Amino acid sequence: MTHQDVVAQLAKLLEPHAEGRVTHITADTGLTGELALDSLKVMDLITDVEDHYDISVPLNSLADIRTVGDLASLIQKHVGNDA
Amino acid sequence: MKENPRLRAVQAVRRELATLGIDPFGIQIDEILSPTVGLIQGRRTILAGTNNYLGLTFDPDCIAAARDALERAGTGTTGSRMANGSYAAHRELELDLARFYGKRDAIVFSTGYQANLGMISALAGPGDTVLIDADSHASIYDGCSLSGANTIRFRHNDPDDLSRRMGRLGSGAAGALVVVEGVYSMLGDRAPLREFVEVKNAFGATLLVDEAHSMGVLGEKGRGLGAELGVLGDIDYVVGTFSKSLGNTGGFCVGDSDEMDVLRYASRPYVFTASLPPATIAATRMALRKLAAADDLRRRIRENAERLHAGLTALGFRLGAPANAVVAVLAGEKVEALRFWHYLLEQGVYVNVMVPPATPGNESLLRCSVSAAHTPEQIDAICATFAGWPGARG
Repeated sequence: MTHQDVVAQLAKLLEPHAEGRVTHITADTGLTGELALDSLKVMDLITDVEDHYDISVPLNSLADIRTVGDLASLIQKHVGNDA
Repeated sequence: MKENPRLRAVQAVRRELATLGIDPFGIQIDEILSPTVGLIQGRRTILAGTNNYLGLTFDPDCIAAARDALERAGTGTTGSRMANGSYAAHRELELDLARFYGKRDAIVFSTGYQANLGMISALAGPGDTVLIDADSHASIYDGCSLSGANTIRFRHNDPDDLSRRMGRLGSGAAGALVVVEGVYSMLGDRAPLREFVEVKNAFGATLLVDEAHSMGVLGEKGRGLGAELGVLGDIDYVVGTFSKSLGNTGGFCVGDSDEMDVLRYASRPYVFTASLPPATIAATRMALRKLAAADDLRRRIRENAERLHAGLTALGFRLGAPANAVVAVLAGEKVEALRFWHYLLEQGVYVNVMVPPATPGNESLLRCSVSAAHTPEQIDAICATFAGWPGARG
């Protein structure tokens, strides 16, 4: 599972939340910046991510996550750890 | 002075409210006339947003107990219990609470917020795991942050989702702390505590239940939802507050753990906060005695809740949960909800307005809290006032 695979999956999960603000979600797209997700939406996204990859992503590991790419890296780390 | 960038988001909300001419988060009650009536902006206003569930704030015995303690022991303790000493009444209140719940011991905190903050951060630390309901109160989220533990959020009121997430922890699930509430403050919906107890027992985890909105209202002697569902003995820690049914301020935790007395010393919010003043302790002890015997008040709050719930339902409003002391009207989009709230206030009814992201389901709420002290006529007046608003119907 490459970083780009995870970014592509996240883009699918994020599309309904983009509400036209961002037409093409990439690794550089900001979660709370360009996508303007509030804290609750970010946490809901993490719940979906956990179920999709069957991993645990603690909320306290999100402090430094700014972009879709940052989140993809975190997911890769957890998939590696939990595998 | 340079603008603090961290305050920009809050500043933007304040400016938006100022543009609308509506300020629900800065409301001032100029005079409090009774548990259910206040003077706001020169109007006699029915208070239906206070969490004064049993209406004990003006109870003559509680006032007399507070007055007596004030005269005997002074206005404040001027320090924390650990650094500056406990008064005998602090410990007596803890023993009262432990007896009331049938638990081994209790710890009193200076607010309900600090009770969650203090307990979660004392029970869990870096490397531990805390699993919390997605709709948890801010004090639970903040307690997790303070603890430094790995915090995992499960879907609201969903024991299967909790079980799935605990399963992912493997052997780590046995040492995990699970935190839920009895009744949720926004919608007034109840937790499936029996099912949560089954999950925590299956994994050998620890369960903490915040009964802030169910103490005094539900269960035998008002001991909360855990008592009503017959699972109080399976709940490891019950957290609660003095600021709702007990009509005061403060918080507590009761539990059967042998480590209760050690936990207080491991809890920074306990160690580094000034203790509750004598008048508060005395009035709370009296209110706890009253609460345990207040079956008539519990009947009245149930009847009032059912009356309000039925009245608002008949008017076509969508409500957040079955009848309970918290009756939440789903009010749609934020600005419309703020205008609805403002209309109610101008008509002499004070409720709470909650807007996303503080609300579940991304929808604004008008949250009413019912009191045993409301008269049926006041409940009907609240319904009649809601009826005057043309929108927000299902």
